Amino acid sequence: MDAEFALQLLVNGLTIGLIYALVASGLSLVFGILNIVNFAHGEFYMLGAMLAYFVAGTLGMSYWVTVVVVVLAAGAIGALLYDILLQRFEGSNVERGVLATLGLSMVLQNGAIFLFSTTPRLTRTEYSFKIWEFAGVTLPLTRLFAAVLSVIAFALTWWALQATQTGRAIRGVSQNREAALMVGIDPKRVSRIAVAAGIAFAGLAGAALAPVYSVHPTMGFAFVFKAFAIVIIGGLGNFQGAALAALLVGMVESFVGALASLVIADAITFATMLLVLLMRPEGLFGRGVRL
Amino acid sequence: MKRNLRLNGALAAAGLCLMTAGAIAQQSGPIKIAATLPLSGGAANFGQAARNGADMALAEVNGAGGVLSRQVMMDVQDNRCNPTEAVKVVTQMLSDGGYSALFDGLCSSVVLASMPVVDRAQIPYMVATASATAISEKSGVGGSKWTFKFNPTDASMAAAMVSWLTEKGLADKIAFLGEDTDFGRSGGDGFKAALKARGKALLSEDYYQQGTADFSATLTKYRTSRPGVVGIYALASDQQNIVNQMQAFGVKVPLSGRVQTDSIAKELLESGFLDGTSAVQPYSPEIDTPKNQAFVAAFKAKYGSAPNSISYSAYESMRTLLDAIQRAGSTEPEKIRTALTQAKFPTLLGGEVSFDEYNLAHTFAVIFQIEGGKAKVVGLSKT
Repeated sequence: MDAEFALQLLVNGLTIGLIYALVASGLSLVFGILNIVNFAHGEFYMLGAMLAYFVAGTLGMSYWVTVVVVVLAAGAIGALLYDILLQRFEGSNVERGVLATLGLSMVLQNGAIFLFSTTPRLTRTEYSFKIWEFAGVTLPLTRLFAAVLSVIAFALTWWALQATQTGRAIRGVSQNREAALMVGIDPKRVSRIAVAAGIAFAGLAGAALAPVYSVHPTMGFAFVFKAFAIVIIGGLGNFQGAALAALLVGMVESFVGALASLVIADAITFATMLLVLLMRPEGLFGRGVRL
Repeated sequence: MKRNLRLNGALAAAGLCLMTAGAIAQQSGPIKIAATLPLSGGAANFGQAARNGADMALAEVNGAGGVLSRQVMMDVQDNRCNPTEAVKVVTQMLSDGGYSALFDGLCSSVVLASMPVVDRAQIPYMVATASATAISEKSGVGGSKWTFKFNPTDASMAAAMVSWLTEKGLADKIAFLGEDTDFGRSGGDGFKAALKARGKALLSEDYYQQGTADFSATLTKYRTSRPGVVGIYALASDQQNIVNQMQAFGVKVPLSGRVQTDSIAKELLESGFLDGTSAVQPYSPEIDTPKNQAFVAAFKAKYGSAPNSISYSAYESMRTLLDAIQRAGSTEPEKIRTALTQAKFPTLLGGEVSFDEYNLAHTFAVIFQIEGGKAKVVGLSKT
C-alpha cells in the first residue's frame, strides 16, 4: 500500500467518522436525557436532507443558508416532538418508548414515500463538484464541509454542556432526574432543550450530507442502524463515547472497505457491537461519564 | 330417536347446500390471483411499476370479457422486498385459499424464499421480474414444478452484456460492484461466468449492504486500480448514490451491467458524466414493433409515463398467465400448470413466450448505451 493511498483512506475514514458522529451524537443525546432509544432518529436525518433538497435545489438558497434553515427547523420539530410525544414516555418502561418511536419512524418514512416517491434526488449546491486536493489526497468540498460542521457542532455542544447553566442542567437531569428537580431544575424544560438539540443534530447531518449522498425517503433507515451500533460501542448515552466510536467505525469502513469489501466492513462494525454488548455492556467508553 | 334422525338429516342437507353454494360461488365469482410486491421501503417504486403493468394486463383482459367468462382480480400484499415478510404474507394468502395462482415478488431473495411455500401449496407461481439465475435453476426439472420465470436470468443478461463489451474491446478490466443480495450476487456470478468463457476474469468484485451511504472506500480503490468499466447491480437509490459520489471524487469510469438508465437523474444524465455507460435490461419502450408501440401509447395514456422493464415484464407475464388459465379451461392449479408448460404466447417484442424444462421463458436482452447525455438502444438479442 503506497503512502498516498493510505493517506487518502485515512482522510476518508476521518470524514466518514465525523459524518457518523453527527448522527450518532444526536441519538446519544436524546437517550442520555430521556432513556428513550429514538428509532425515528434516521427519519429526522432524512427529513433534514429532504428539506435541504427543497431549500437549496428548488428555492436556490446557498449551502450555508440551507444549513441554518434546516438546523433551526429541525430544532423546532425536536421541541414539538418532545411536547407532543416523547414526554409521555419519560420514565416509563423502555418498550413503550421503543414502540412509539418505531411507529413514528414508519409513519415518517412511508409518509415521505407517499409524498415524494422513492425516486432518489440530487442536491446541487455552489460547492458541488469542487474538490480540495493536497499531497495527492482528493476530498470533495461538500464532504470537507460536512466534517467541519460536525467538529463545530460537537465542540459547541461540548462547550455548552460544560460551561453554560443549561448545559449543566442537562448533565444534572441526565445523571439524576429526581435530584435535579430537588435543586430547582425543571426537567421538562431541560429535556425539551436536549431533544431539540438532538434532532437539530439529525437535521444538521441531513443538510450537510444532502449534497454528498442521494436523497430519498429510505436513506435514514440503514444509516441509523449504523448509528445504533456506534452508540452501543461508545456507551449508551455517552455523548463523547459516541463521537469516538464513530471515528473508529469510519476508519474501519474506509480501510476494510478499500482493502477487502464494504460488506466485510459492515460485518466488523456489527460484530464489534455484539462483542461490546457481551463483554462490556456499558460500552468502550462507559456509561458512567455520560453527558 | 326419530326426531334426532330428522334433525341430523336436516343439518346434513343444509351443510351440503352451503358447500354447493360455496363451490358455485368459487366457480362463478371472479378468478383471484394472489400477488406480493414491495409497496414500501427502498424498492417501492419498482413494486408500483410492476403493479401498474399487471393492472394494465388485467384491465385489458377484463375489458374483453375476462377469462373463462369471469373477471380476474389480483390481491396485492406488501413484501417490503424482505424474504421473511414475503414468506409470512405468501403463507397467509395461500392458506386463506381461493387463489388460482401466485404472481411475482419482484426481489430475487423474496422469490427464492417464496418458492418452497408455493410448492407446498401446489399453486402456479409466475415470477415476472426477479432475475436471479438460481430461481430458474431451482425450477422445472431443477426442483419446483410450480414456479415459472418470465424475466431472463442474470446469467443470460450478463452473457449478452459481456458479449457486447467484448465486441467493443471493453471487457479487459471490468470491476464489479453489486448489492449483497441474490440479485447482486447473481449478477457478479453472471459476469464472472461470461468472462471465464472468454478466458478473462473480473478486475475486482465488491458487495455492499442495500442502503449503504458511503462508497468512498471503493472509489479510492478504483482510483488506484483504474478499471475500464464498472459493472453495477444496484437499487436505483444506491445506483444514484454511487454515481453521485463518483462524480464528486472525479472517478470517471463508464458503468455497465443492470444500470437503470431510466432512473438516473436528468441533470446527471445530461451532464455527460455517464457517456460511454452501457446497460442490459429485458426491455425498452423504444423497440419499434407495432405491438410494443401500441403498448407504450396505452401505458402512457393510463399512467402518464412510458413503461420501464419492470412494468413490461409484469404486463407480459400476467397476459401469459391469464392465457394459460383460459387454455386450461379451468382454475385447477394442475391444469393451469400444464397449460403454462405448453405456452406459446406472442410477445410485444416479437416471437413467442414458451418455457423450457427449467420453466424459464427465453425473452430478450436489450443493450443500451449512453451517449451525448441520452440512453439509446444499441443491441437486442434473445436470451
